[in-house]
Amino acid sequence: MNMRKSWSRTLLAATGATALLAAAACGTNEAGESSSTGEGLPDTIKIMSIKEMTGPVSFAGENSTKGIDLAVEQINEQGFLGDTKLEIDLKDASDSTQEAASLATQAVSDKSYSAILGPGLSSQASAISPIAEKGEIPVIYYQAGSDGVLVGDYTYRVTAPAASYYHIIGDYLAEKKVKTAAVLYTSGNPTLTELGEKAVPGVIEENGVTIKRSDTVSNDTQDFTAVTSEIIKADPDAVFLLLLGPQNPRAVSQLKQKGYDGEIIGMTTMGAGNLETAGEDAAGVVWPSNFSARSEVPSTQEFVKAYEEKYGELPNNYAAEGYDAVWLLARGIKEANSADRVAIREGIAKVAAEGFDGAQGPLSFENNDVRVEGVIASWNGSEEVVVTLGDD
Amino acid sequence: MEILINAVTLGSLYLLFALGMSVAWGTIGILNFAHGSTFMFSAMVAYYTVQMVALPMWAMILLGAAVGMVLSVLTQALIFNFILRRNPDLLKAEMQIVVGGIGAASVLLAIAQHYTKSVPFGFSASTFKTTTYQLGAIHISNVQLVILVAAFGLAGLAAWWLKSARAGLALRAIGVNPEVASLMGVDRGRMALGTMAAAGALAGTAGILLTYYLGSIAAETGDSFLISAFAAIILGGIGSVIGVVVGSMILALAETLVVTQLSGTWASAVAFGLIFVVLLFLPRGIFGRKEVRRT
Repeated sequence: MNMRKSWSRTLLAATGATALLAAAACGTNEAGESSSTGEGLPDTIKIMSIKEMTGPVSFAGENSTKGIDLAVEQINEQGFLGDTKLEIDLKDASDSTQEAASLATQAVSDKSYSAILGPGLSSQASAISPIAEKGEIPVIYYQAGSDGVLVGDYTYRVTAPAASYYHIIGDYLAEKKVKTAAVLYTSGNPTLTELGEKAVPGVIEENGVTIKRSDTVSNDTQDFTAVTSEIIKADPDAVFLLLLGPQNPRAVSQLKQKGYDGEIIGMTTMGAGNLETAGEDAAGVVWPSNFSARSEVPSTQEFVKAYEEKYGELPNNYAAEGYDAVWLLARGIKEANSADRVAIREGIAKVAAEGFDGAQGPLSFENNDVRVEGVIASWNGSEEVVVTLGDD
Repeated sequence: MEILINAVTLGSLYLLFALGMSVAWGTIGILNFAHGSTFMFSAMVAYYTVQMVALPMWAMILLGAAVGMVLSVLTQALIFNFILRRNPDLLKAEMQIVVGGIGAASVLLAIAQHYTKSVPFGFSASTFKTTTYQLGAIHISNVQLVILVAAFGLAGLAAWWLKSARAGLALRAIGVNPEVASLMGVDRGRMALGTMAAAGALAGTAGILLTYYLGSIAAETGDSFLISAFAAIILGGIGSVIGVVVGSMILALAETLVVTQLSGTWASAVAFGLIFVVLLFLPRGIFGRKEVRRT
């Protein structure tokens, strides 16, 4: 969904898990934990979940909601909050900023809501944040990477900016002996522009790779024939594609059809099934990602196992982010031992300061924004896999 | 040379998309804003079909054309005819037809978004496989060749039919003066349905061929092409098949030059700026017919 933008923030949160939170890792190892913290909690804590269940980004909203539902089910079944149950009130804002703002206003004025699980669209999140800050209700977003989303103490985000983990591609470039590169990015999107102009060129040059070409396309670009021809003429060892989700398979296919046989490196917009239509053409394409269902990190595998059991399919990054958002909130509530909004905000701040192991692996926070280790994902022609360097 | 081939290929994509829209607009006066959704929906139906049965390209084209034809006829029968019956004032009716078309497009788009979740879909399950040929430094694929032949072949066919066939002449007569055409025995309603059926079949064909060429499309792809097609028709001149051919090629050449020599960011701005300049000097487009008003 390409909504990440701001990433350079000062390090505030201290990492290192405490015994309490280590025991609570990922929410799947809670069976023997005491539920005495429920004494200050009501029977039910109501959360409003504002998601894009219809419209052009419904794929993100639906998958995020699946992750949320799984986390809530685990929290309630395991008695993570004692006898207290989490109740999610799902609201569809589609891609309407007005609708999202109106729902947030409703959540602020209706005191039965203790917190909000926010949408993934930056436009909606930017509208909700000032309302939430003024109304003093905690909001946890996924995606929503633009500036102006995290505006104070009440707003959190569980999708790490790509720029914060993109550096992991460095070892891959070295292993593949990449010396020259071309960059192609969608200039109509602030997140992709930031990545294409600063973050990714920075990573490329830090690894001693020369950028031969940098090209842009617009949000509406459908045909990549002309620009891929020019890129191939420059003969780079690697092409970095930083494009909107549906543009990826087209650009990859057209590069391959033009005879390009070098490395193709992308970003998370290549995940979530977006390369499926490119099939064999996309075999070998890699991208640094905040999440892969094939990651061997224990907390990720626990999440993947539970998700597969519930839904019979592998989770994508949106599901993992939804899951982590709920567990961050639940830990905050437990820490606060209260359904009061201000207390929950303080509880989340404590949890964020210490970090925890989630579906995306070990999570830490900088200025309320999550940080992950990241993995290098790859498309093998039929499914997504994780690249382990040194395997060749 | 390669830039020229790439520009002609892009122009052919615009032409394939715009042809049906141009014929309907230039003859029966229907500016169908559901054309993009018809294009996308035809490809989507073909996609779900090919997931169940591996079909060759010709069968996919026939299927796409049939779906496009049905959707377009339904749009005409259920929306545009209804608007035209209620509005004797053609100018008001035209505005309502635009809004009606946008409504139909929104319904088709919402259905497609619901089923595809806006994830791209393509025809990798089809028996047709893309092959690339290398001619010196130039790469050209078999789909690219099919697109070029189809675009110019269909445009030539449409131009011949409108100029020489009896039904085509009747259609052009409606485009010039619907009242007089009716007095001469032309059944406007039947001709309108037939024209929309042909335009829908062209949209469906374009949907299939473009999906093969691009590798995949998404539910929103039709909207992007709609703006470019609209511009190509205006530039070439409404009602002229040669106009839509030239308009598509100029737009594509301008965009290709900007993408390769400047930056993709400016492609639409420069291309549409160029169109604006042309229209300053040729307000009816390059091949637009002169309107004769008698007092």
